[in-house]
Amino acid sequence: MNKKRLGFAGVVASFALAVSALVAPSANATTEIVVWADETRGANLKKVLAVKGDWVTGYTVKVQAFSTFDALKEAFDKATAASGPDIVLGPNSWVSAAAKDGKLAPLTLTAAVKARFNATQLWELSYKKKLYGIPVDVNNVAMIYNTDLVKTAPKTFGEMVDVYKSLKTSKGLKAGLCIAGGGMSWGGHSVFSALGADAFRYNSRDEIIYGRGFTPTVFGTNVRKYLMDGKKSNGFYPATDVGCKDNFLAGKVPYAVIGNWDWEDYTAKGFEMNVMPVPGVEAGTYAKMFGSVSGALLTTFAAKHGTEAGAKSLLVNFFGSTDGQVRYQAIEKRPPAEKGAQADKSVSAAQRGFGAAAALAGIPEIGAFLGNTSGGASYWESAPAYWTAVLVDGKDPIKEAAKLSLIWKANVVAGKKDL
Amino acid sequence: MNFLIRGRVALVLKIVIVSLLSAILLMLTQSAFAQREYVIAAYLAISVLILALTYLTKISIPLKFFIPGILLLTAFVIGPILYTVGMSGFNYKTGNIISKTEAIELIKAEGTEASPDGIAFDLALGRIGSEQAILVSDVTNLKYFVSTGKTRTEVNPADVTLNEYGVAIAAPNFTSLDDSELSGADKSYSEIKFKYDGDFFIALEGLETGIVSQQVLKYEATNDQFVNLVDGTLYKDNGRGNYASVNDESTILEPGWRAPIWFENYSKIFTDPRVREPLVRVFLWTITFALLTVITTFALGLLLALALNKPIRGRRIYRSILVLPYAMPSVMSILIWGGMFNTEFGAINTLFGTDIAWFSDPNFARTAVILVNLWLGFPYFYLISSGSLQAIPSELQEAAAIDGANPRQIFRKITLPLLMQILSPLLIASFAFNFNNFNLIYLLTGGGPRNNLDGEIAGATDILISYTYKIAFGSETQDLGLASAISLIIFVLVASISLYSLRKSKVLESFA
Repeated sequence: MNKKRLGFAGVVASFALAVSALVAPSANATTEIVVWADETRGANLKKVLAVKGDWVTGYTVKVQAFSTFDALKEAFDKATAASGPDIVLGPNSWVSAAAKDGKLAPLTLTAAVKARFNATQLWELSYKKKLYGIPVDVNNVAMIYNTDLVKTAPKTFGEMVDVYKSLKTSKGLKAGLCIAGGGMSWGGHSVFSALGADAFRYNSRDEIIYGRGFTPTVFGTNVRKYLMDGKKSNGFYPATDVGCKDNFLAGKVPYAVIGNWDWEDYTAKGFEMNVMPVPGVEAGTYAKMFGSVSGALLTTFAAKHGTEAGAKSLLVNFFGSTDGQVRYQAIEKRPPAEKGAQADKSVSAAQRGFGAAAALAGIPEIGAFLGNTSGGASYWESAPAYWTAVLVDGKDPIKEAAKLSLIWKANVVAGKKDL
Repeated sequence: MNFLIRGRVALVLKIVIVSLLSAILLMLTQSAFAQREYVIAAYLAISVLILALTYLTKISIPLKFFIPGILLLTAFVIGPILYTVGMSGFNYKTGNIISKTEAIELIKAEGTEASPDGIAFDLALGRIGSEQAILVSDVTNLKYFVSTGKTRTEVNPADVTLNEYGVAIAAPNFTSLDDSELSGADKSYSEIKFKYDGDFFIALEGLETGIVSQQVLKYEATNDQFVNLVDGTLYKDNGRGNYASVNDESTILEPGWRAPIWFENYSKIFTDPRVREPLVRVFLWTITFALLTVITTFALGLLLALALNKPIRGRRIYRSILVLPYAMPSVMSILIWGGMFNTEFGAINTLFGTDIAWFSDPNFARTAVILVNLWLGFPYFYLISSGSLQAIPSELQEAAAIDGANPRQIFRKITLPLLMQILSPLLIASFAFNFNNFNLIYLLTGGGPRNNLDGEIAGATDILISYTYKIAFGSETQDLGLASAISLIIFVLVASISLYSLRKSKVLESFA
């Protein structure tokens, strides 16, 4: 290379360095607390914080809204200290894996702050007895009935089946009860529970019973009695949730399990929010429904960014306060987790209805049990598989129930160590 | 246009393009370096040097044409393969993601526990002289004290200034931080264990609150072990990426780290019955699926190409219609077909008046997969078969006809062999593509149906790549090390089959 070329290369390198220095990304200022959220929560947080942003003295809050919930999850899975958030809004099901991976940092709440939440909600955001976030909103399902088809709330599961059989032809019903919210596993637990199969059970002291699953003969016999006609499904309960919402809204299904995040779609079509838990086979009993919380979770990146104390203050002052949750849920429109916000007059009747149903028959979604595969499959996989095996493939409901019971029992026993 | 290739303008253009490219690469280098991605940073920096050397000197003219391809090939093919090979030798899964240094730091940071009685105080951040300190308010007992990392000094209640909530904000010799100083002090104050009582200290839980805590885990660097200061339990490196209790190996400290386990992931494929048992069945179905797809799509594509090779009325319209499935994004097509095969509401059952559970029965599900892939794949073979038919000299067919060969003989003895010579590499490429056709399986059947109640991991339509995905990401635990090992086995299988087929078809020789 001659001198001219060398000089030329030097000029290019200098120019390149100069340009790169100009366009190089600058690191987050330490006065900025970065919050990651999905497309709806993120957008709504921005609106709330634009009105009032001084929740932590000396800091500003930057919200990054991802295009979808999955995009948020993917980004958080790949987050590093250099690129990660200080706080992430995510469901309780993220807690155990993220804590194991060292992405979440524990926080200790004072007794006064703890008192603002139900113990179950705090427990759901905990892993191995350490709390990793503040509960923000509650997700649960409840059963709605179409008052054009049935005038009164059903008292038993059998009553619903009778209504379906009597109206099936005259009203052209597509099904009797279907799952419109939460899928056949999460939303569909109500039907398992109503007929005698719970993913896990509590004793009279509200302690989880380990090592004893549900009774297959009781559950299987109920399935045969209420859901089958010989070896075939009687059409009351479809094995899939596909089309359920549309069919309910079209008046072709009298009862549907819906999610509380969806209630506006139903009120917009003129349905009253007459929600309740799915009734059991005996009058006065109700099926257990899963409830879960989404939380504002503290990350270990906050300590590396030098914003740990500020992020903890934001969690308590904004996400964990009545004022913060009322302001946020006024736009987000999910049931708030904080007790003061729940009692606020701005919370709608529909949100209260779901809250009442959850209070009557809600159980926590315990990821350590439900996502465990020690029994050969997780609850999430095996629950819909049962309905396919019995209602579609025509297999024996009691024999299949025996397999299901063994799987769930093994998963609960194995999941105990992760609580 | 010659001025763009030679002369002063070309030189200036070259300088501008190389400069801009180098600037972008250097910016990415800096970003990668800041994120501690040192390998990527080094690669980008070397790329800048190589680009400068290649385009600003006369080292090699051919290199000027090859270097972009070589750099991209290294970044997007060779790099990922090497990374996958490397990761397949590690215990790399949920709970074992970060480095050992990071894991030790996190365990140390989280190795504290709040006092059993849950004492918490309001506090203000400040200094005693130049030393960082907190002014602590026990509002219940109306006691106040100033604490540093080493000392605790009681303050007379009469000497403190309280805010409207009864929390002390000023005391003699204590200088509170003003609002502008708070954020800058966050990191240093969060790391201090402010003196409380005996082994207990006050840890910041926000800028206004302190929790009385105690250290539970202590790291001993000389022995590379953690000690539980409360019950004395020792936790040693178990060689698999975790500190495990010496009394009970199943009791581990979290998080763990990526640790080398060499060939264990490979041996697990053959020794873990939950992984091994479905593997053969999935492998056979993968071969069947790939073969059937290639045969059916090629057969239909060729048939249509032969039909439309003759001048018929509306040939252009037919050709346009036949290409439509290829023009539509396959994701959309697959999802639409998924809806059409739905048992209850699907168009197929409605049209034929059937009640087939397409995605519940293994054979129907496999049929559906092949049919949908036929729809997606035949336009490609129609297009390339049409082109290839045009390339076959018509004189050969005419000569055969003069010699008395009938159309079937002409096709079998002349057209098809010539076509196969041209299309063999594409057929092999199609086989290799379908061997790893993850999108179709994932979007159409999810690999199912699968008998979960009998503990099956693999579904009836799972192919090797979707089965790998299930193992890696199908449950709460992501086992990336095991998935890397299976991916490499798939890579070797596909490469072997493709090479064997290429040799058998003598395509390589004809290219040579």
